[in-house]
Amino acid sequence: MTAPLATVIQIADSVVAEINAGDFSKKSLSAQRLYVPNFDLEDMKELRVTVVPREVEYLPLDRVSNKYHATIDVAIQKKFSKGDAKEIDPLVMFVEELADYFRLKRLNSYVAARCIKVENAVLYSTEHWTQFNQFTSLLTLTFELAK
Amino acid sequence: MLQRGQDWLSQKLTQHASRLVTYQRDELSVELSATIGKSEYEQDDGEGIVTRAQVRDFLINTKDLLSSVIGTWPRRGDRIIETDGEITFVYELMSIGNEPPWRYSDPFRIKLRIHTKLVDTIE
Repeated sequence: MTAPLATVIQIADSVVAEINAGDFSKKSLSAQRLYVPNFDLEDMKELRVTVVPREVEYLPLDRVSNKYHATIDVAIQKKFSKGDAKEIDPLVMFVEELADYFRLKRLNSYVAARCIKVENAVLYSTEHWTQFNQFTSLLTLTFELAK
Repeated sequence: MLQRGQDWLSQKLTQHASRLVTYQRDELSVELSATIGKSEYEQDDGEGIVTRAQVRDFLINTKDLLSSVIGTWPRRGDRIIETDGEITFVYELMSIGNEPPWRYSDPFRIKLRIHTKLVDTIE
């Protein structure tokens, strides 16, 4: 018997499943859930999508339940060679596709949770760009449910 | 006199403490003697997303690079390929911290210190 998973983990796993099953411009994705995206530069030749549970917030809803907010980060990473528009524009487009996909989305395998906010505060990390010739974009999804 | 001394030291380094590497820029490539200047591990956790890399500095004679088919100063994105037995290591020129991807290694600009990071290993 498998141990029950925390709500935020179930939501993160559902996000992984949706990304891997989705019809995006980047095909054959193998998104994975990790607590800390921690890779060697050598591993970044292929596009990597990592789902990270980041934060949970409980807001009182009524006497017995809470409005539960789960914040999930989605890191999109790939090592580039030249970093020109031809190479990077499709990656930025892919990030936008993910953002559009999750906007107001109810998760197929966790329908109680609905995405109420999508942020792309880090369109690309300049640190990773200059230090590793690597595209790193961070999408932050906030899911809400009553709990 | 100091410059003559540096020249002599540079020759000795090239003769006795260097190995042949392939310097590559797009389709152009040349074999050059390089001394390994530094090799260590670096980590960056910008935005909570950690990337680690093997950092390696190569010391190459300025004249050798400029008189080769490459013909100009090192550029970000150039590659240095080092073969060790059956294994080929591919390094790419990149900045290290706030430093640019290369600098002169001595006051007389005899050698270039080129900063790279390992991007591929082919076995």
